[in-house]
This record gives sequence, structure tokens and C-alpha cells, in this order.
Amino acid sequence: MNDDTSLTLTLEPAADAHRPLVLTPGQDLSGFLAAHLGRAALFVITCSSVLAVLLILVFVIYRSVAFLTSYNIVEFLTDKAWYPTAESPNFGALTLIVGSLYVSVAALVFAVPVGILAAIFLSDVVSWKVRNVIKPIVEILAAIPSVAYGFFAVLVLAPWMQKTFGFTTGTNALNAALILAVMALPTIISVAEDSISALGRELREASYSLGATRMETTLRVVMPAAHSGIIAAVVLGMMRAIGETMVVWMASGNATQIPQPWWDLSLSIRTMTATIAGEMGEAPEGSAHRSALFAVGVLLLVMTFGLNIVSEYFLTRAKKALGKS
Amino acid sequence: MNLRARGIFDRIFTVTTGLSVGLLTLVLLAVLGPMVYRGSSAVLFTGTVEFRKMQRDLFRRADEKALEAEIARTDQFRQTVCDMIDEFKKGIDIQGMSAEVRKIHRDLGKELRYNEVPAERYTELRSLSRDIRDQLEIAFNSQEIEAIRETVAGVLTHKGNPGFKGTIAERYFEIAAGFLQAAEQIDLSRHHDYAVALAETEQILFHSDERPGLLGPRPGESPPLLVMLRYGATRWDQAQALLDQFHRYVVWEEVEPDQPLVRREKPRRELFAGTSLEPLFPYVEENIRKMLRPKFTVYWQFFIDDNVNSHYFGGVGPEILGTMLITVLGMLFVIPLGVISAAYLVECASENWVMRIIRMCINTLAGVPSIVFGLFGLAFFVLFLFPRLGFESKPCILAASMTLALLTLPVMIRASEEAIRTVPQSYKEGSLALGASKLRTFVTVTFPAALPGILTGVILSLSRIAGETAPILFTGAVSLGPTPKSIFDPTRTLSYGSYDMAVGDRLAMMVPHNQYGMVVTLIVLILVLNAVAIALRSRVFKKLKGQ
Repeated sequence: MNDDTSLTLTLEPAADAHRPLVLTPGQDLSGFLAAHLGRAALFVITCSSVLAVLLILVFVIYRSVAFLTSYNIVEFLTDKAWYPTAESPNFGALTLIVGSLYVSVAALVFAVPVGILAAIFLSDVVSWKVRNVIKPIVEILAAIPSVAYGFFAVLVLAPWMQKTFGFTTGTNALNAALILAVMALPTIISVAEDSISALGRELREASYSLGATRMETTLRVVMPAAHSGIIAAVVLGMMRAIGETMVVWMASGNATQIPQPWWDLSLSIRTMTATIAGEMGEAPEGSAHRSALFAVGVLLLVMTFGLNIVSEYFLTRAKKALGKS
Repeated sequence: MNLRARGIFDRIFTVTTGLSVGLLTLVLLAVLGPMVYRGSSAVLFTGTVEFRKMQRDLFRRADEKALEAEIARTDQFRQTVCDMIDEFKKGIDIQGMSAEVRKIHRDLGKELRYNEVPAERYTELRSLSRDIRDQLEIAFNSQEIEAIRETVAGVLTHKGNPGFKGTIAERYFEIAAGFLQAAEQIDLSRHHDYAVALAETEQILFHSDERPGLLGPRPGESPPLLVMLRYGATRWDQAQALLDQFHRYVVWEEVEPDQPLVRREKPRRELFAGTSLEPLFPYVEENIRKMLRPKFTVYWQFFIDDNVNSHYFGGVGPEILGTMLITVLGMLFVIPLGVISAAYLVECASENWVMRIIRMCINTLAGVPSIVFGLFGLAFFVLFLFPRLGFESKPCILAASMTLALLTLPVMIRASEEAIRTVPQSYKEGSLALGASKLRTFVTVTFPAALPGILTGVILSLSRIAGETAPILFTGAVSLGPTPKSIFDPTRTLSYGSYDMAVGDRLAMMVPHNQYGMVVTLIVLILVLNAVAIALRSRVFKKLKGQ
């Protein structure tokens, strides 16, 4: 007896070994159901992102329906006069659309050359160790919250620009574009670097063995091969710049005007995001103004969806190109 | 192209790429440097005795006895300043002096009646008093020193009058003598200029209706209603700025006709040249340290104190608390959703059109502008969901944190997916071969191995939630308000506070250290979180490489 108990005790961890190898139909069914129900439950949770996107679409559009049905959409998109609180309010969003695009494109003009050169530096010039030291700089630039950039733009950059360049106001398109460029840089650098370094050694080594210098290899071989990824990087940077709110709200001056002449960056402008942020608090519930602001939100969503599709297209192309080579 | 030219071009190209990275570093330093430098002075600075008084009154934080002794020592010097000004005022403050002699006249009447002076004597003294009063008022308003001397001498002849002995009327003669003495020293034609300059000087030294001064209210003055006016310069840098204003005033002068005016600084002392107030300027200069007693201060309580007088005094305690509340609550929503979604995407999903749609939605969600999340949070949580669930339909912490959770969901999913994917296949195969079910394998083998990577994602999401402002503009952030009692109240946050201090708040411009202190607190919080994430990730990376 004594021997027996000690034996079962030592065997306890392997107690499952006593289980019959063939399951009873009940066990079989419950196992099957558990596996599939569990999977279904996980699937439902995973679909929360889909649900979120749908809810965002539905609710932002739902709130803007009152405006979109009562107001002429063509006029909304092409009229320059945005007078939401006038006696006979006018909701022409062209100035805001142009403002958003203007400041984003200006930001890209600053950010793209620097970003691509930095990506090349990280992937093709320095060693892996040095790269790992430099990468945190880019990450810190990405981590600083947008309101801190806005703070910097208003209280440090704006007075400095006003004093140094003699602008009438320090909060202008140039200020916003510079800060947006800094904010778009991390996105551009990391996506471009990923696609450039994903090309692998063979392509580069072939070029070097033919006697090409690093510049020639980079510009004539690497860049053409990685162009899809680089375009995706630029598009993602653009997306980041268009969707940014706090910086443009604080730094762009918020003057409803299209810059005249078009190249004068020292003029104040106003973007879609800043308009929503600035006017939502004052637009009473149920008013046409509030509905119009939601319509501007829909417009923003449409633009970012469009850019998203473009970037997805180029990213898949980059992946496919890699698969072939 | 020859070989040398190609070599040179190549060099230039390489250097340019390096320069672009150098530019990045410079930008980072240019952005963080000035802000961190100025923000750190919210905690580390040279505080004056006024700061310690403020801490005692508003936050009950002081070594009472030592502070009392210190205040007594400073008051001694401040009293001298007040005395000098009062002395000078005797010749300048016409309205004050006129009011005083009128009051003496009234009070004398009461006093005489109280003393039961006989009626005839009473009438006589009253009319004499009225005469003296009128004479003095004429003297105060006169600009001729000769006339003043004559009038005052006339008044002083009544000094020996036994009827005035021991009454308030003796004040008449003190005032008259003081006034004559002061009048001898000043240029009477500049009477008005002196009055204006004196008022300005007093505002800088004590306080005006809207700005605190160098020393705070005079000893014995009843404390002003506005809290910020109750204390002088609490910080040595403020004191020095005020001292500068005290010594120099600014005029805009026309140098040439039709040219813009030129800013000139002139010594204020010159305004009072030759008067009894002139010694005040060297006196203040010499004794300012004795009046304010600057001392290096570490104000770590900046991180727990509430602000007073809309951020003029105090710290960012409620903002930190609000940010933490929103962040923690948001993480409670996003961590389970994110980790489970990632696990499903890696472990269970096969590549088909459903998965492609899910992935596309995750990417789309990552691209939605943050302000649109704000619109959605307002439209869905605040205006649609809460009223239907029986909650009050107003911006609150819950709505803000749920909105931010959705915003950061893609970050969480991607980081967790990456982490789960990097767990070596052999781990899972070993577990499955031992007979463990898929679920059990994930919970006991894959998840613990992926945990550091998932933690990195968690920390990155945390820092994103803590820093976002646009989504909470309409869903739960306020600039000033009580500390929230439940998650159904709106709250102050560091991010919205930084915006408000930079743009919205007029008072904040007067206290740049608090302005920068707020934003630097936010930046430091987020950078520390990110540093932890980066360190954690490199550890995981080394560990995986080691295997």
C-alpha cells in the first residue's frame, strides 16, 4: 500500500498519460466548439479596428449630412468665402483646402531632400552600430508631442523670425511649414530607409564591382530600385502634415486667405484642421456651422483615405519588386 | 567624366548626407534646448522671501519661526523705503494732503464738542481752523515758493494757540512744516510731473492694479484681492527685471521728423534729481538683497501643487493627475484590444480577403487625422453613446480616454504583432509537440516570450496618448477647472494646458517659467517613456541575437 501511494505521487505530473487516446464524442464536440468559438471571439475582437473605422466614417458623415444636403457641395468646394458666423453665413472651404495643401507641400519641400539624404546616410554610409546611435534622434523627433512643437513655434520660433527677417507676423505659413517638416521627417526617414536598406547587398555590390562610386550607385541604382518605397514615404509624410492640427493651429496665424503672391510664405494662412479645432467650441449644437465643420472633417477623411490608398499601392509595389529581384 | 571629378562628387554627396543628419541633430537641440532650459527654471531657481511667504500662505509650507524672523529683518529695510516715499509725498500728494486737512477740520469739531468747550470758544476755534484749512489748501495748490513760505508762516503763527493744545489740530502744523520743507526742495512748476513719476515708481515698488511689484504691498497695507498682487517678486530673475524697470524708464523719442520713433532708456533717478527722493535709488540698489533675501530654491512641489490665480503661482499637479487618469484609462481599453488583435493576426489568420480588409482598416485608422478622432469622439461618445447609456452628455475623462484608445490602437497592434512574430517558431513547436493546445501555447509560451516587445508597444502607445491634444479638445479637456471627482468629469491635462499657456492665457505671458515648465513636464514625461521603450527594445534585440 505504502509503496503504491508513493508511486502515484511521483507519477502525478504525468497524470494526463492515463487519458484514453480516443476522445468520447462529447469531449470531441466540446473541444471542437471551444476552439471554434474561441477563434470566433478573437476574430470579433480583431474586427474592432474595422468597426472603429466604420463608426468614424458613419458618425462624422452623419453629423455633416444636414449641411451637405442643404448646401451646394460644388460651392462648398470652390467658394473662397468662409464666413460661418456672418448674418447670412457663407461656407466656402476653398481657402482652407488650399491652406492645408499649401503648408503641407511647403513642408515637404523642406523635408523630402533632408529626409531622403538622411535615409541614405543611415542605410548606405554609416555602419550598423553608428546607425543605432543616430536612430534614437529620429525617434525622439517623432516622440515630441505636437503641442510641444506648437509651443516652440509660437513662443520661440515666431518672435525669432519676426526679429530676424522683419516679417509683420511670426506666426505664418513659413513657421508652420518648417515645424511640419520637422514632424514629417521621422516618417519619411524611417519608411525611406526601410525600403532602401531592404534592397540588399547584391544590387549595390554589382554596381560597385563595375567601378561606380557610392554617389553613382545610390543615385542610379539604389534610388530607381527603391523608388516605390520612397514615393510611399513622401505620401505618408504628406499625410502626417495634412492631418496635423495643433502646430498649424498655433503657428500658421489662422488668417482666412490664399497667399498672394503664391510664393510668399511670410503670410498667415488657415488650414482645415485648425478651422475645426478653433471653431468647434463656438459652434452651437445643431447649427449649420457645426455641421459644416463636420463636413470639413469628412473632406479631411477623404483626402487622407486617398493618400492612404496611394501609399498602400506604392508600398505593395515596393514589396513585389523586392520579391522579384 | 574623369576619375578625380567623380571622386570629388562622391565625397560631396557623402558629406551632404552626413550634413542632413547633422541638421536633424541641430533641429532637435534647437527645439529642446531653449524649452528645457527655460522650463527647468520652474523647479530650480533663486527664490526670494516673497516666494517663501507665498508658499506659507497658499500651500502652508514653511518654517514659521525662521520665516517670521526673516520677514522682520526685511521689513526693517522696506520701512525705510516707505518712509522715504512718504516724506517725498508730503510735497507732492496735493489731493492726499487736502483730504487730510479737511478731515482734521471735521475731526477737530467733534473733538471740541466732546471736550465740552464753551460755545463762544468753539465758534472761534472752528472759524480759525477753517481759515487754516483754506490757507493750507491755497498753499498746496500754489506754485510760487514765496507765496507758500508766506502762507505757511501765517499758519504757523497759530501754533501756540492754547485752544489747539493737545487736539488733533496740532497735525495742521506738522503737515504745514513738512510741506514747506518738501516744497523748498522741489521744483514746484514740475509738480505734476513728480506726481506722475512717483505714482509709476510706487507701482513698480509695490504693485499696480494688475501687476505685482518688486516688494509687494507696503507693510501694514491690507492685502489686495487679487492673489498675485499680494506678493512682490517671488523669483530673483523677476526681481532683477523689475529692478531694471525701477532704475530705467522707456521713452519713445522722435529723432528726425517723419521717421519712426526711437526707443530710449533713461535713468529714472533723473526724474527726481535734486529732490529728497533721489537717495531712494542708490538705497534700493544697495539693499535689494536685504529686502528680498534671494536663496537657491528647489521647488519640486511644482509637480504636485495646484496653480493659483490662473497659473501665476503654483504648479501643474492637477494637469499631471489628469494626464495620468486619461492615459491609464485609455491603456485599459487599448492593451487587451491591441494584444488580442495582434495575436489573432499572427497566430490564427490566414491570408484571405477578410484579413486584407482588416489590415487595410488598421492602416486607415493609423492615417486618420487626430482632429477627426476628436470630431468622432464628440459625435459618438459624447453626443450619441453617453445619453443612450444614461450618462450625462458632456465631455469627460471616459470619452477622452476611449477616443485616444482608438487613436493609438494601430500603434499597439503593430508593435504587438511585431513582437509576437519575432518569437522563434521552435518555441511554439516545442509546446505544441508536448500536447499543449494552441491557446495554452500562446498564453504560457508565446506571450511571455513576446512580452518585452509588447511592453515596448505599450509604452509607445502610452506616450502617444499622453501627448495628443487635438482629440481631447472637444471630448474631455478644460483649461481651468476643479480636479475631477469621477471619470465622468472633464479634466485638465498637460497637453491642453501647454496649448492654453502658449496661446490662450494672458497672465501666462508674465510667468514664462510656469509656461515653459508645463510643456517641459510633458516633454520630459514622454521622453522618459520613450527612453524606457528604446532601452527595452534593444535588450530584447540583444537577447534574440544571443540565441
